[in-house]
Amino acid sequence: MTEHLHSIRIDETKCVGCVLCMKACPTKAIRVRGGKARIMGERCVDCGECFRVCPHEAVVPLTTSFSDLERFKYTVAIPSPSLYTQFGWEVMPNQILLGLRKIGFDHVYDEAWMCEMVSASIAEYIRENPTPKPKISIACPSVVRLVAFLYPDLVKHVVHLNTPIELAAKTLRQKISREMNFASEEIGIIHITSCPARMISIKKPIGLTESCLDGAISVKDIYGRLFEAIKDVHEDVILQQSSGVGLGWAMSGGEVSGINLDSWLAVSGVEDIIQILDDVEAGKLQDIEYLECLLCPAGCVGGPLNVVNRHLAKTQAKNLVKMFGEKSRVSRKMIHRLYKEGFFSLEKQVEAYPIPPLDKEQSRAIQKRKRMEKLISSLGGRECGACGAPDCKTLARDIVLGEARLEDCVFLKKAV
Amino acid sequence: MTDEVLFRKVFAIRGGDFKRAGEASVEVRNILKEVGFDPEVIRRVAIASYEAEMNVVMYGVRGKMDVKLKSDGIYLVVEDEGPGIPDVELAMQEGYSTATEEMREMGFGAGMGLPNMKRNSDVFRIRSRMNKGTRVKMVIKKNG
Repeated sequence: MTEHLHSIRIDETKCVGCVLCMKACPTKAIRVRGGKARIMGERCVDCGECFRVCPHEAVVPLTTSFSDLERFKYTVAIPSPSLYTQFGWEVMPNQILLGLRKIGFDHVYDEAWMCEMVSASIAEYIRENPTPKPKISIACPSVVRLVAFLYPDLVKHVVHLNTPIELAAKTLRQKISREMNFASEEIGIIHITSCPARMISIKKPIGLTESCLDGAISVKDIYGRLFEAIKDVHEDVILQQSSGVGLGWAMSGGEVSGINLDSWLAVSGVEDIIQILDDVEAGKLQDIEYLECLLCPAGCVGGPLNVVNRHLAKTQAKNLVKMFGEKSRVSRKMIHRLYKEGFFSLEKQVEAYPIPPLDKEQSRAIQKRKRMEKLISSLGGRECGACGAPDCKTLARDIVLGEARLEDCVFLKKAV
Repeated sequence: MTDEVLFRKVFAIRGGDFKRAGEASVEVRNILKEVGFDPEVIRRVAIASYEAEMNVVMYGVRGKMDVKLKSDGIYLVVEDEGPGIPDVELAMQEGYSTATEEMREMGFGAGMGLPNMKRNSDVFRIRSRMNKGTRVKMVIKKNG
């Protein structure tokens, strides 16, 4: 059996076996069996929609705990730009960065700065690789997994560029081990994140042989501690380098607006993303150069591990963009040189891992699909979820795969 | 044996129903993904079926898409009751379009529909009769 590593698990002691997470899952990866929700590893893209809807705290995102940091001699925090939106209008990014230092990180790096550098590299990349159109951003780990899983024919649209967080971690690791003489394993580089898919992209990165990060702490776990620390930060040190170009990455539309492109489209929220990817698959949207897709509604500010309402957070992100200006502070010349050196490139191709077909043998798979069609019409389409599958079509699929029985349908049972 | 129909599904398409336009094409692709077709074949079917479906939505009154899977590939027949195409040869030229201003505002009618359907299929036949309707047959071979 292949092991499917994921950053989300079900706490069976808390799960009451309701249908909410199963219904919310965009890839139909959850079933309720024996009164408990179960995640089918091979179908999960770690988007966290299940975590968002669970009223019983039974969906547990895997993240690093603060005490895990003790095993490192030197710790680095790289907060997602969306962290800057979590403390209200008055608190500035620099104060939050200083707060992170105060709660114990030896070094703090402004990820938004690397975002700003990547923005400039995307423009270069698209000039050199204009087709196939539109190019799809690699920023959201769940979207990249969704494409690799449900749209294997669109994998070649995903840009062959590394993500800002990995580039930041890689650069810092090299710099710190060189300048401060620490061995790589003594340095702990930690992302502060709103994203439930972050841990999986550390453990099983796409397009890289291994991640340069050592863990990810969720905003909600660090919030109280950081909130206290921020209250009295009096240091006069500037840690924030980014302008609004980098800070904007926290929200939907932020990444694309900082790139000098003729045409782009920004989409957020899983349903809209699926609709847009269906269009791209049909050969539409070819007049668009770049497609930014962030799975969480409103973008990373709406990540389920954040604490503030996503609309408030998005407004704050917009405020910050305005305040720090939309003129990039990176040197084009430096970006051009780094781009040519391959600094921004992924190490390997993004590979598709399409839905496993109904059968390895195609003629048998087609036979099963035919049977599925008959089952779908006999199941009646009430989509209740009482059988333990999210909808009638999925139950039909489970039946032909031998994972469920027709009798699981409560309505058919009643009729007999 | 290659003529045996392994799977068949017929989708009804309503002319003028822009809200649901494209749904049949999406379902066809999903079926192909479930039975493990090659991504490149799926891409070609996606484009061909989408354009054909849109033509019925834009110009037809009502129509249907008949999808058959055979061992050598995907057979699509899309037919509609509608105005028909006055000059098929002209309509096959890239950029030629009779789309209304309204359709163009919605992003349709770039005059690439029929050429794209032809480009993405291994067999392409079109027959149209004025004031009756249009019938398009497309075959996308698995190893085409």
